[in-house]
Amino acid sequence: MKASQVLSALSTALGEKLKNYELRPREVGVRQKWTVEEIWAEVSRDAIPEAVATLKSLGPLHISVISGHDAGEEIELLYHLAVGFGTEGGEVMVTLRTRVPKSDPAVPSICGILPGAETTEREKIEFLGVDFPGIPRKDHVFLPDDFPGHPWRRDEPELGKYLHYMVEWEKDDGSKES
Amino acid sequence: MDPKNPETKDLEYQALGEVFEVPIGPIHPALKEPIRLTFRVRGERIVGVEIRAGFVHRGIEFMGMRQGRNLIQVLYLAERICGICSISHPIALTQAVERAAGIEVPPRAQYIRVIISELERIHSHLLWAGVAAHELGFDTLLHLTWRVREKVLDILEELTGNRINYAIPIFGGVRRDITPEQYPKVWEALRYYRGLLEQLLDAFLHDPTVEARTRGVGILEPKEAEELCAVGPTARASGLRKDVRQDRPYLAYSDFQVKAITPADYGLTPMGDVYDKIVVRLLEVGQSLEIIEKALENMPEGEITSFPKIPALLAHLKKAEGEGLGWHEAPRGEVIHYIRLVAGEEAPLVWKVKAPTYSNLLSWRPMFEDQEIADIPIIAACIDPCICCNDRFYIVEGSREKIVAKEELLRLSWEKTRKISAHHRGEHGGAG
Repeated sequence: MKASQVLSALSTALGEKLKNYELRPREVGVRQKWTVEEIWAEVSRDAIPEAVATLKSLGPLHISVISGHDAGEEIELLYHLAVGFGTEGGEVMVTLRTRVPKSDPAVPSICGILPGAETTEREKIEFLGVDFPGIPRKDHVFLPDDFPGHPWRRDEPELGKYLHYMVEWEKDDGSKES
Repeated sequence: MDPKNPETKDLEYQALGEVFEVPIGPIHPALKEPIRLTFRVRGERIVGVEIRAGFVHRGIEFMGMRQGRNLIQVLYLAERICGICSISHPIALTQAVERAAGIEVPPRAQYIRVIISELERIHSHLLWAGVAAHELGFDTLLHLTWRVREKVLDILEELTGNRINYAIPIFGGVRRDITPEQYPKVWEALRYYRGLLEQLLDAFLHDPTVEARTRGVGILEPKEAEELCAVGPTARASGLRKDVRQDRPYLAYSDFQVKAITPADYGLTPMGDVYDKIVVRLLEVGQSLEIIEKALENMPEGEITSFPKIPALLAHLKKAEGEGLGWHEAPRGEVIHYIRLVAGEEAPLVWKVKAPTYSNLLSWRPMFEDQEIADIPIIAACIDPCICCNDRFYIVEGSREKIVAKEELLRLSWEKTRKISAHHRGEHGGAG
């Protein structure tokens, strides 16, 4: 599969909803040079299921993970997908970027299209407090059910202190506990 | 009755009687690492499973993003995500950072990374084969496999100084070269495994006990493997030709034309059961030997890092702005790291780690479905779960779950050490 093929399918299917996109090729190999292309595209959150369905129609689709980040007023999510495994150098990595406002942090679930996305969507529920309407189950994957807050949010200073206490054991002055 | 028809299946289940819940874990002799699997069973038959991870999650991504560590410190943290994949995570992280910061890796360093990764695959697959034999109750085979595994650990120690946690990749290259005196030792180990491979294949694949316990057990259909985005040998045993080294080559892997291995390469029709997972992993030991041989023969000369001075590297990384992905086919499947760097900051703004077991968790559901209770240990083991790659921390006290901070753990461990030493000094009524 070629990245240009994937990109044209995405832009035909999504039209205006595909906001920015770029190809980031990487040269690999020492004696056998190969160019592995990556697509990085920004789409509106409502277009995520459509984009994923389009990718799935092109070939076998894999979701690596959804990464995310607290960007102040918004939460940014990055869907790292790969389409077309099974041939040498034939898989294209596609990263779909979308932003959701903190006042309404929700993106339609893609589990109906790609059931393998369940773990990573559930992880975003607990770590970033993003909701995925349509997800088959919302239980925590990693954190206890009564965990106070979402660890990757940067707007919860008290939680930050609590997490610091949990993961580090130096005293405030940097000395170790004796 | 047609076993695939849900209605007749339901009748069959009902005939078996009431549904009971059998919790396995978080701590259980059948498991090597903590995870909780709650099975719903009718008689001996499993009708459903609930999977709960998180018991050894240490918040490593948080520690890397939010606690003021610089990228080299983060690299050492990444190495400690998992002991068995202790080069896989650094390889993915260094590539992600190199992409984000525009750093080139010299050809020789790429080859060294490949060699250490493939040595790791050999030791990891042999470790798994031993565990699988143990789960089947075949401890002779466990001891045989683990004895021959020592050789690759010795070579890793020779090349890196450590049996695990090799500290080889650094942003821009590797930290140690392979010296001319070391080549013959590596070749000797490769010959040793070449001679052993047939024996191992024979011991595992032509043994009636192994076959009886693994054929038709824990099946993952190809369609399920694809939909659930399974990775690594778990996906390949179901017949999917899915291997990151082949699909999206990185480092020097395109030089070796890696092809994803499925049971079809051993003349079998892939069934996706535990037996097929043994086939794939053992064949991959042979594949790794081949890659290392080619790499040693064609090793490019030259520098091993583009930043020989660490302060210069740190200064470059501090100025860097950008994002990047790095991936690697770890022994258990795809590892991927995403990183975002902001100029002027030493710590990354975003760091996301995805380990192979994270992708394979969902595959457990169809594998356990309709199986016997007695097969739980081997099915649990067949994806080669690596819970520490996957996890966080809390304990179950009675039925209440609570989080334990590191401080509390240390206190408990000191307490225990004091108790033991007091006992040894004879303060508890003397040694009897």
